[in-house]
Amino acid sequence: MSKLIGAPLLIGAVAYTPNVVPIWEGIREYFDEPDTAMDFVLFSNYGRLVDALQAGMIDIAWNTNLAYARSVLQTDGHVRALAMRDTDANFSTVFVGAAGSGWSGPEDIATRRLALGSADSAHAAILPLHYLRAAGVDVDQLHLQRFNSDIGKHGDTGRSELDAIDAVLAGDADVAAIGITVWENIGRGDLMPGMLEPVWQTETYSHCMFTALDTLPEAVYAPWVAKLLAMDWNVPAHRRILELEGLTRWVGPHLEGYEGLFQAIKEQGVDSRW
Amino acid sequence: MVIMALMRTLEQMTEGDTAEFAVSSASELELVRRWCDKTGNTLVSTLMVEQDTGHVTVGRGRPRNPGSMIPPNRMPGARLWLYTNFHCNLACDYCCVASSPKTDPRLLGIDNIQALVTEAADWGVQELYLTGGEPFLLPDIDVIVRACVDRLPTTLLTNGMLFRGQGLRKLQAMPRQGFALQISVDSPTAEVHDSHRGAGSWKRALAGIRVALDEGFTVRVAATISAHDDPALDDLHTLFDGLGIPRADQVIRPIALQGVAEEGVAITRESMIPEVTVTAEGIYWHPVAALDDQALVSRQILPLAPALDRVSELFTEQWSSVTSATSMFACA
Repeated sequence: MSKLIGAPLLIGAVAYTPNVVPIWEGIREYFDEPDTAMDFVLFSNYGRLVDALQAGMIDIAWNTNLAYARSVLQTDGHVRALAMRDTDANFSTVFVGAAGSGWSGPEDIATRRLALGSADSAHAAILPLHYLRAAGVDVDQLHLQRFNSDIGKHGDTGRSELDAIDAVLAGDADVAAIGITVWENIGRGDLMPGMLEPVWQTETYSHCMFTALDTLPEAVYAPWVAKLLAMDWNVPAHRRILELEGLTRWVGPHLEGYEGLFQAIKEQGVDSRW
Repeated sequence: MVIMALMRTLEQMTEGDTAEFAVSSASELELVRRWCDKTGNTLVSTLMVEQDTGHVTVGRGRPRNPGSMIPPNRMPGARLWLYTNFHCNLACDYCCVASSPKTDPRLLGIDNIQALVTEAADWGVQELYLTGGEPFLLPDIDVIVRACVDRLPTTLLTNGMLFRGQGLRKLQAMPRQGFALQISVDSPTAEVHDSHRGAGSWKRALAGIRVALDEGFTVRVAATISAHDDPALDDLHTLFDGLGIPRADQVIRPIALQGVAEEGVAITRESMIPEVTVTAEGIYWHPVAALDDQALVSRQILPLAPALDRVSELFTEQWSSVTSATSMFACA
């Protein structure tokens, strides 16, 4: 589907929290200029978002890493990665255990009960198993406890990671796999003193990505991306949006950070469609 | 585990919404403060019921620009509070400045008041509030009121119990234009009010309101509410409505953990929009903290303008780097 130059761009995102509405209203206001005007549509899950991108219902999708990978796989690579948060370029998974466990490294996880987040969360379920396997752990022998608390939202709510942490704190699991953002939000354990300690952390990988089909004209997306990258933490109105969305600056695509996820999708037989 | 509760709850909230959480220790309160700072959320208020336990209210996101949230008549410098005296005919058990019949009066004095009011009007203050102690214990309160009303709209806070004899004559001598009385009534029936303020005080306050209304004064009413008492707010409004007090002139506020209060809303300079307050002992950030050294702006009460400038500057800095929300504590 072609895009009329000058018409407002339509951005799709998933409403994983009510706060998504003021975030996108703030973003829309920021882009409210002739070359970059946009509107947004919110979906209830990433499956519908990826479908809408392919169907031409939206011009750009604000994808998770799994939604980006599925967009690539479903279009045979006919997508264009546009931009991501600085925090998306250096994402990782942290394995945490109860404070005082003294465990360290993948070999200590191999023999423990591992709590994972939602099955479609790349950072809390798919990539933890991938990186454990890459480190030599026989993941088929792991004792897994899964918390599929926000299926469809790819772990965006953080709820399944909190459920995994609760399982560790309750003694129902030994180790929980959580995203670096949840770990940072509890001050790397400092804000829950005496409760958790890190056991192992994966290498960094890429997370969310603004994604378009490769048929979207450069003249349409380029001004929008340029204005996105111009958002400045030192401008209070910009900072409010950046802080709510969890970044300090927008950056260009780091596609090398998706290699692990594409491998994991193959290894684990993750459905490329839903 | 308050951090887990914060993370679960705030994720499901929209920017500007608030939720209340129990805290069980001072260290847990500090963790909440640090978490809010780290995650871009706002510690709106704390209510410590006992020494180390209580509740916190946390808001999603950061507070907006003060100009978009605070009405112009509540911006720093719009109001000036003058503590005319500290002694009182009552000894309320929550008094934020520990007033009682035995309290040293610490009079501000007519000369200081005239100088302060002149400077305030020139600086841009829009309203004056006279409080105590009980201002009607002062033999020259009518002169003080006149000096204030001549320059700016003025409200005088009183318990309304002294409108007899000399007190009534002083009241009758006060101007009706540009002047209002704010009289304290804490409950719709005598029981709760009298338990905090003394036997018979509710009945006399109601009588005082009627006298002031009959004399043609604008009367506002203010209720101070304890977390432990049934506030019966509907009944309270019905009482005030019945007296002919407009809803806009019915102020309801919590007890502040200041003075002799053993419970109430914890107050810090950072948690309050300033309402510059002058006592005989100095200039303070807010009238509920007029004994609190943490809220002291200056020991020198004249000239006033530098202190008004300083408070405005401090508030601007505080707001722009907010780590805990600044909220209005409504005294009037």
